[in-house]
Amino acid sequence: MEVDREDGRTQNQLRPLACSRNVLHRAHGSASWYQGDTKVLAAVYGPKAGARKNENPEKACIEVIWKPKTGQTGKLEKEYEMILKRTLQSICILTVNPNTTTSIIIQVVNDDGALLPCAINAACVALVDAGIPMKHLAVAICCCVAKSGYVIMDPTKLEEQKMKSFAYLVFPNSVHSVLPEGSVQGEPMEHGIVTSVTHVDDYFYCLERGCAASAKLSDFLRRSLQRHPTDSSKAG
Amino acid sequence: MEGRLANAWRLTANDKSFIRTALLSEIRIDGRKPYEYRKIVVKFGREDGSSEVQLGQTRVMGIVTAQLVQPYRDRPKEGILSIFTEVSPMADPSFEPGHPGELAVELGRIIDRGLRESKAVDTESLCVLAGKFVWAIRIDLHILDNGGNLVDAANIAALAALLTFRRPECSLGGEDGQEVIVHPPEIREPLPLIVHHLPIAITFGFFSNDSILVIDPTHNEEAVMGGRMTTTVNANGDICAIQKAGGEGVPQRVIMQCLQLATAKAAGITKQIKEAVEVYNTERALRKIKRHPTSTGVNVKERQDQSVGK
Repeated sequence: MEVDREDGRTQNQLRPLACSRNVLHRAHGSASWYQGDTKVLAAVYGPKAGARKNENPEKACIEVIWKPKTGQTGKLEKEYEMILKRTLQSICILTVNPNTTTSIIIQVVNDDGALLPCAINAACVALVDAGIPMKHLAVAICCCVAKSGYVIMDPTKLEEQKMKSFAYLVFPNSVHSVLPEGSVQGEPMEHGIVTSVTHVDDYFYCLERGCAASAKLSDFLRRSLQRHPTDSSKAG
Repeated sequence: MEGRLANAWRLTANDKSFIRTALLSEIRIDGRKPYEYRKIVVKFGREDGSSEVQLGQTRVMGIVTAQLVQPYRDRPKEGILSIFTEVSPMADPSFEPGHPGELAVELGRIIDRGLRESKAVDTESLCVLAGKFVWAIRIDLHILDNGGNLVDAANIAALAALLTFRRPECSLGGEDGQEVIVHPPEIREPLPLIVHHLPIAITFGFFSNDSILVIDPTHNEEAVMGGRMTTTVNANGDICAIQKAGGEGVPQRVIMQCLQLATAKAAGITKQIKEAVEVYNTERALRKIKRHPTSTGVNVKERQDQSVGK
């Protein structure tokens, strides 16, 4: 079913992506991730000595600080911090540097829809820039379901507000293996899901679309990380 | 506690003495002369009232928003201007999240004094209905990268954001003319703020040997210097504010020298800010004309090569 979106995209089209790393000088790792008009800046400091209170000292600890564009930090920011922390904990190798803390600071530069996936992508690139050991990278995508049942990808803020429900999906990045085809088994797992109330069928539909999108996103991620850090990379 | 101390950044004794010795021959470690400013880059976001300033390695983002509120009781006809400084832990590993340290508070106060006391922003034009509704302008300054001299960079960010901010137009309506109708930007063009002059903050660093003076210290020099002074002047030669909180004493003639230098620098910086704002305004006007989207995104389902858009 053909859907008219305000900026002329089709249902499955993502917004133009741009990613640069090593944008800050003091931070150990930093990245900026632009998805259309949604812009997020991520900085990583770590590993620093000592684990935070109530954290297991036998593992590396991850701390996330979310800074909104304007206003005080409230419950919404705390929720984002928690989601981001859990997602990053599942992709970082926590046994390598025990009793240390890695801080990830997210600054929202502009919010035009799909903010949390943008932040997850930015945090991932910043962690790579800082050299934090990870099992694999995470690519995040946002899908929305409208009242009439169609699903769109990567909504803008206006589109998000009109939708019935949304799903933020995080996938591991696609594997480029030197092993011959067939020996790499297992299905791509999901690492984080944030979703509002949706019908079960819609959810699986979103999942399938999200999987396809994550392949494109992880290609973009791989290309931009392979470039020299001072060049910023852009893709359609 | 111990963990925190271990994470603090400290300059080694060798580095400190190197900086001091180099200054004796009027050489600074980044190659500048003592009275030279670093390169200033002023960029704007897509929305009105958001600016990003880079002063050498220091990076600050300024965001201006406005809200209709009740005015203060002793000033019923004036709008409200408030500045919030967020010293993010992103900028420096020693900044703690949560409560703002002395640095953040001092920074906010210097910029606040420069803008408010010098009446740079016209608050009377922000009054909509005397005693009931006025515009409260909120400036959020986010420090993203601490490369030294945060005050100057944050000040330029605040000014740039104020100059490009547009507040919605509103009119009085209703039966007795007591209701305020705020017109959305699509219907009526939002209005810029009235800014009379631009107070520019210029920071000086003092070093104890032979009362050496430098302008725009980097954060390495800040760790070595004995005292600092921030003067807020405008291009007309008016002194808006001076802040010298502690540090070593300096003779009077040095203060006068600083003020003269500051006035000379302020003219150049004001010109740069105004030029950047002009470019932004031109782009903004052009954006109003174009309607079709110029960029295409990645189509997920189709098996085609990545199309490179803008």
